[in-house]
Amino acid sequence: MADAIIELEHVGIAFSAQRRVGSGRFWALEDVSLSLRRGQRLGVIGRNGAGKSTLLRVLAGILAPDRGTLRRRNVSCQLLSLALGFVPYLSGRDNAILSGLMIGLRQRDIVARLPAIREFSELGDFFDQPIATYSSGMVMRLGFSVAIQAEPDVLLIDEVLAVGDAEFQEKSGNALKERMRQGQTVVLVSHAEKQVAELCDRLLWIEHGRSVLEGDRDSVLRAYHEELHLGTPS
Amino acid sequence: MRQHVVELIRFSTYCELRAERSRSYLGLIWWIAEPAMMMAAFWLVFDVILKTGGPDYLPFLLIGLTVWQWMKSCITHGGYAIWSNLGLIRQARLPVLVFPLVQMLADTIKFFYIFALLLVILWVAGHPPNMAYFALPVLFVVTFLFAAGAGFLVASIVPLVPDLRFVIEQVLTVVMFLSGVVFALDQVPSPLREVIALNPVAELLDAARGILMRGEWPDWRALLKVSLISTGVCLFGIAVVQRLSPRYPKLAI
Repeated sequence: MADAIIELEHVGIAFSAQRRVGSGRFWALEDVSLSLRRGQRLGVIGRNGAGKSTLLRVLAGILAPDRGTLRRRNVSCQLLSLALGFVPYLSGRDNAILSGLMIGLRQRDIVARLPAIREFSELGDFFDQPIATYSSGMVMRLGFSVAIQAEPDVLLIDEVLAVGDAEFQEKSGNALKERMRQGQTVVLVSHAEKQVAELCDRLLWIEHGRSVLEGDRDSVLRAYHEELHLGTPS
Repeated sequence: MRQHVVELIRFSTYCELRAERSRSYLGLIWWIAEPAMMMAAFWLVFDVILKTGGPDYLPFLLIGLTVWQWMKSCITHGGYAIWSNLGLIRQARLPVLVFPLVQMLADTIKFFYIFALLLVILWVAGHPPNMAYFALPVLFVVTFLFAAGAGFLVASIVPLVPDLRFVIEQVLTVVMFLSGVVFALDQVPSPLREVIALNPVAELLDAARGILMRGEWPDWRALLKVSLISTGVCLFGIAVVQRLSPRYPKLAI
């Protein structure tokens, strides 16, 4: 088996509690460890406020650990962010390029993919209209179509598996699943356990900013459900 | 990575200008009309009503205001840029210097439009083009370095202490009056005048007026001193932003 491409050891992240002089700090992550290998699909489960999203931001390299160590091989990690940097007064086309640059693509690559983005987002002639004229569903469709173009070594997903109406939800969900089937390394955070169970082969369970258990999907799920007194999953 | 950031800066600047253009009915016209209205207001108060001026006061005032407005907008727009993009900084791993720099570049492009108009006004008012114009690029670079440095410094602190926003405009107004933008500094009584003369902005405005109004080459020694100060301020500003950048993603929006 290949070596870990990302390793966290006892990582903690502290935020200041308030924007006040002398306000205290709180630890959103207290002590989280994990290791991720190429091709793995790791799901992160835990209750609200357990620190799941903060963990993803650490993996993405946005937050640097305040304690513990983070070891990252030379791999790129990208948060799947919809509508990142969108500007209301610009056309869908300009926003697609801008957002694409922000998720780390080169300009010529985005420009080459504009027809595909336009096609996938189903915007038609609206693609060249300012996105201020779009419905929120249209913005999300464009956002997803751009975000899915990112090609990081590790894709980080925070509960955005499906957007838009029922039809587009299926389409966007399928596009992501297709990426995973092709061997994309993924870290997925979700409340929807079903989704996590379906898509991931490994799970990390965190609680109050501490990792409780990391292991293969079934054993972690079983332990998690016992803790929640929900019995075994059906 | 580096080329990618250059593309991001270039395209973001284009987007900034383009979005600003489409935010209002008259769009591009405001780039010129807004500063023109402000200049008219100053001219009305200081020349027509107070008669502080004297001969050639109008070109003196217009040059001062044009250059000062450019510096001021770099400092304020650039200065608020990290703060107003905190939402983005929380979600994406981007070099934070990009945000103030994009604002400053957009303001610089707008400045060139206004400057072109200024040149036309000056020619009509009897100050034709001259050889000393060749010194203008040097002057622009030094001015930009100084304004950008100040802008980076403000940008680095505003996210941590947003209250600063309420102070900065007032401070800049005082700086404007103490830099000889509106009235010549020789009207200031003696001990204070020498202190004010140390202000690099005053030096830069002097050089700009010398070139544009009298066809004089700048005082290169003085300009060298100012450019050293400007470069220092700019490097210091960049260093502070870089130093504080791990803290920004943790701030509440």
